[in-house]
Formats: sequence, structure tokens, C-alpha cells
Amino acid sequence: MAELSEAMVQDLIRAEAKKALQTGEVSCVIGWTATRFEDRTKPYFAQTPEECDMLIWNRYCINGTAKFALDDRYPDKKFGIIARGCDTRAINRMIHDKQLKRENLYIIGVVCDGKENPVCRQCAHKTPLVCDVMIGEPVQDVIPESRFQEIEAFEKLSPDERYAYWAKQYDKCIHCYACRNACPACNCIECYADQYRVGWQGKAADREQNQIYGLTRAYHVGDRCIECGECERVCPMHLPIMRQTRKMLKDINDLFGPYECGLSEEETTALGEFKTADPDEFM
Amino acid sequence: MSIKKDNNWEPRILAFCCNWCTYTGADLAGLNRMKYPENVRVIRVPCSSKVNPQFVLRAFQKGADGVLVCGCHPGDCHYSTGNYFTRRRFMLLQRLLEYNGIDPKRFQAKWISGSEAAKFRDTVAEVSAQIKALGPNNKFVGAHYDNTVMEKEAEGGKD
Repeated sequence: MAELSEAMVQDLIRAEAKKALQTGEVSCVIGWTATRFEDRTKPYFAQTPEECDMLIWNRYCINGTAKFALDDRYPDKKFGIIARGCDTRAINRMIHDKQLKRENLYIIGVVCDGKENPVCRQCAHKTPLVCDVMIGEPVQDVIPESRFQEIEAFEKLSPDERYAYWAKQYDKCIHCYACRNACPACNCIECYADQYRVGWQGKAADREQNQIYGLTRAYHVGDRCIECGECERVCPMHLPIMRQTRKMLKDINDLFGPYECGLSEEETTALGEFKTADPDEFM
Repeated sequence: MSIKKDNNWEPRILAFCCNWCTYTGADLAGLNRMKYPENVRVIRVPCSSKVNPQFVLRAFQKGADGVLVCGCHPGDCHYSTGNYFTRRRFMLLQRLLEYNGIDPKRFQAKWISGSEAAKFRDTVAEVSAQIKALGPNNKFVGAHYDNTVMEKEAEGGKD
């Protein structure tokens, strides 16, 4: 089959979305629509078959669509989701974390060729891993060699340089929790950062509290990170948040063997399991 | 005048000790009247896997110069598998802290069983000496707990 052009994929997406809405199987289809800027798109919830013509597909469709399914955890009808590889990994992530049910989703998978988003250069799974209908020809999954390049380069700096770098980043942070709100792995019903009791998370946007927040989040998400890059995309201060989570993934790869997360619903996470033969440095 | 200029600076080390092994080991060290540095503050936890990585971050924030997590040897956990999780967890945390500029000697984990009183003594002495050589921790310390800030305030004649 010849490779599908953007316009052909867009037509197929609209047709599939229309079909799903006409049968009454889904309450809405989550995708992207145009904005008044040519190089921007925004998430769109098509609720009637007519609205499906608003859905678009181009290389600026960079928002994640999966996390919106958490807006209604007890839906009356299915959600239709237009999902690329990263979105399906996010769906797997949330199903495995018991925040979503597969039967509440109708997934229209689209093979993605990479978007205008820096993180797409390190994308390993362009083909949807789970879907009800698939648009496009599946492609081979290849983990790019550049996955941990940035981390390795950063590790070569001296400890004081590294600390100074992160201190500067956390000075910039405005503590808005945008990274948490966009992250598919940050799916706790109640986040520790929203707790008001003393000892959980200070609410001031100063270096001290931002460091605690940043590191706690990096660690909490670290082994469940699906590397979708949503955190960096939404960060208003452009912090390199994935440098922390990728570091966790790199260490997991080094210590416990090849590791990627969100590839299936049934997988276990690196910190949720153990092997008695794990390396032991604490003797 | 202030703590920092004092040559008698002593590190503050926080030790999370598992109730079933290390705490008993520390107890035994006390019963045997073993001498070890007083820099260590012991906190008893039900299991070494009870120690949330955030406890460690908080300890640094509140002015600890070093953190030690101690538990049963792998395979000996009172809850069968707790310390296997600890092992994975803190190997990663140690690396993440190092990545963020904290010397890995400042955060250590050790397996010490209930009968290893001498190992407890030696571990505390060793960690204490290592951290003493590194000097006070000035990374991740909150402004309220930072000795240098207190020093400046004192010099500014606030009181």
C-alpha cells in the first residue's frame, strides 16, 4: 500500500470518528482542530457527526489526547480517542495504574510520522500499541540511539556544575503544576502536592520547594515515564523536565536490563517488582 | 561566634533503621557498650521500604549532612520482600541525587542484621568520617535551615 498523505489520513480519521459517533457507541471523539495560527493546533472534542469535519491531522498535532479521558472517570458512554503511538502508551499507563478502563475507550489508532516537537526525534513507537481501528501502515519499532545522549553528556559535568544547573532551573519554576496536569503518569486522583497538611509539599514558588517538587515528581514518575514529552511541552518556563525522568530510565536500563514502559496493560513497572538477583551495592 | 566558623563542626546524620534488624543491631551495640560517633540520629521505621524517597529529600532540606538507610539483609526481611524494593529504590535515588549534584557518600544504604552490632558501629563511624571530610551540606538546604543564612542574619545585627 502506498504511503498515506496527511490529507488522506485526515479524511480517514474524520470517517472513523463519524462512524463511531453515528453508531452512538461513543459520546465524543478527542482529536485536534485548527486554530487561527497555521502552526498551532488545539485539542478538540467532536460530539456530533457534523463536528467531525473540524478534526484535522497535520504535523502540528502535538498535544497528547489520552489524558483527557481522565476528565470523566465514570463515563456513561465510551470515549473515542484519536491516538498516536505515544497516546496509546499513555492509555496503557493509565489502565495499568487502574485509572482508566479499556472498555470505556474506543481507540482510533493513527500511525504517526513524528510531529514538530523535539521529543518526537527520540520516539521509539510510532505505531499505536493498542487500538480498535488502525489508520496507516504499522512501522518497525526502533529505539533511537540518541535516547540517553543528552543525559550522558550532562553526567560528565562536575557535581557543582550539575547542582548549579538544576538550581537555576528550579529558580525559574513557577510551581504551576502544568507538568503534573499534562503527564499521563501523574494520574493519582489526589496528588501529594495538593495536600495542605504540613510536611507534604510547601506551596511557595521558591528554589527550596521547587527542588522538592521537581525531584519528588521525577522520582515518582521516573519508572513509569512513557517519554511522551508532555511535561516539557506544557512547561511555561521551558524547564528540561525530561532530563530528570530520563535519567531514572537510563539507570533502570543500566541496572535492571532494557526497560520501556507503557507497552502493554499487564506489564509491571521497574520499582513495582524486583529480582533477587538484582545488583547489590549496599552490602 | 557562629556554628560555621567553629572548628568543632560535627555532621548531622539521619539514620533510618528498620525495626527488625538494624534497630535491634543498634540496640545490641548499646548493650555491648560499643562507642560510636554521636552524629547519628536514629529513626525507627517498620521496614527499610517504609522510607519514602521524599523523607531523604526532606532531611537534606532541613539541614541533614548525610542520610543513612539501614535494613535487613536481602532475603532476611521480616516482611519477606520489603528490602528488595528498598534496594531498587535507593540505588536509583542515589544516582538521581548524584545527578543533581549531591555526593553519593551523603546518601547511603546498608544492610545490618540484628546481631551485627559491630557492623552498625563501624558503618556509623565510617559514614560519619566520610561526611566530616566532605564538610557541611549546602545543597538542597532550605533557607530556614541554612546555617550560612542564620550567620548572615546574626551578623546583620537583627538581634
